Amino acid sequence: MNQQIKNSTEQVPSEVMSPSSDMETFIKVINFNFFYGKKQTLFNINFAIPTKHVTSFIGPSGSGKSTLLRNFNRMNELLPGVRHEGDIAIDGKSIFDASIEIIALRRRIGMVFQKSNPFPRSIYENVVFPLRIMGRNKRSLLNETVERSLRSVALWDEVKDRLHENALGLSGGQMQRLCIARAISSQPEILLMDEPCSALDPIATAKIEELIVELKKEFTIVIVTHSMQQASRVSDLTAFFNFGKLIEFDHTHRIFTAPIEKQTEDYITGRFG
Amino acid sequence: MAYSRSHILTPFTEKLDQIHNSIMTIAELAKANFENAIFGLFKRDNDYCNTAIANDEEIDLLEMQIDREGLYIMSRFQPVASDLRYVISSMKIGANIERIGDQVVSIARRSRKINEHPEVPELHELDKVIKLSMKMFDDALRAYTEENETLALHIKTQDKQLDRLNKELNERLILRMQDDSSKIPIYFNLIFISRCLERIGDHAANIAEDVVFAVSAEDIRHLGS
Repeated sequence: MNQQIKNSTEQVPSEVMSPSSDMETFIKVINFNFFYGKKQTLFNINFAIPTKHVTSFIGPSGSGKSTLLRNFNRMNELLPGVRHEGDIAIDGKSIFDASIEIIALRRRIGMVFQKSNPFPRSIYENVVFPLRIMGRNKRSLLNETVERSLRSVALWDEVKDRLHENALGLSGGQMQRLCIARAISSQPEILLMDEPCSALDPIATAKIEELIVELKKEFTIVIVTHSMQQASRVSDLTAFFNFGKLIEFDHTHRIFTAPIEKQTEDYITGRFG
Repeated sequence: MAYSRSHILTPFTEKLDQIHNSIMTIAELAKANFENAIFGLFKRDNDYCNTAIANDEEIDLLEMQIDREGLYIMSRFQPVASDLRYVISSMKIGANIERIGDQVVSIARRSRKINEHPEVPELHELDKVIKLSMKMFDDALRAYTEENETLALHIKTQDKQLDRLNKELNERLILRMQDDSSKIPIYFNLIFISRCLERIGDHAANIAEDVVFAVSAEDIRHLGS
């Protein structure tokens, strides 16, 4: 059973990590702890993610980065025996507030996973799936959404003549871009990406990275990646996690040229362990 | 935090050790060559001068080797943080040592010209400038090997002192030129050598700046100049 707490944005501690005061905060994580049963996996996380920037989460396996990401859209609540303490606020409002509907919350947050997961339906139906769930079936709206979303992910020119073919016929990179198109078709505010390129070749990876840089004009993007190079290429800010703790959060160029914490330095330079 | 070249990935460690060893080699060569040029001047022995000029080719080759090693590390291992700073600084330090080598060649050439004339007492006017420029070069190399930021910062203050010594020497020698025009070619070459020594001090200061960048990520160039 998830512990519900009140919106506690007024209790933001002064030590909340924020690399720059001139960036407008969109997601604020406040004194956040997370437990799988008795096992605590996140420890007192405090930091602020700015709007319309790309923020990377890096850290070794099991460091808690994906766990935190999946708390942003309350996906972890699908697991039995989990609970949290503290708060996460999006645009100033707690996502755990009793008045928040989970479906409405997830509509504001698109998510892309490590392995592309298109539905065994047409390209067109994949893109409009979130709209259909919302009961929006007007043909002109769907057509417009398909073109806009596919253009946003630079897939329109490649598939415009075969929109009604099965999406499973696309290449790996195209499938992942289709999943991103599906994630943004309902026009969310946040895009969460959990190792979106780990199954892709370098060219497909470069296209997704180009896309990420382009999409930040419209969305606040949080990406979990094991690739240091990817984090340094695409993100404006980088958060380093280790053993469930946020060790360092700073501008990406700072993290990769002169990190403050020795743990960060040892991890990114390959001296860990 | 103290820098360690040791990595989980052994080939990366080996390549970082290799560029470090190349810097040490070019530094030892440049230092020995500097001494050759100064011996050539004070012992009035052109063999030392010729050795200094000939050895510079090896220094040039080592500078290129250091650049190749740095590029190899960057392309193969994509270094970040302290490793990235270390590689960039090593490449810049290699270039500065090579330029010190060029100044040494100029000193050796000017020394040969001075050696064509009878010895003049004003030669010892260079003593302080030589001593300080050699010390700055030694200190810069020691700061690099010891990652000694304090020593590196001290070199920056020594550079101002060297500039002053060079300026004072120039003024004295220009006055002597007015007193004894027959020695103008010698005094002119002494002024030129002093300027080379002053530039060696500048390169030592550049090395010191690179050491500070490698150690603490601080860019201290063009501060308070």
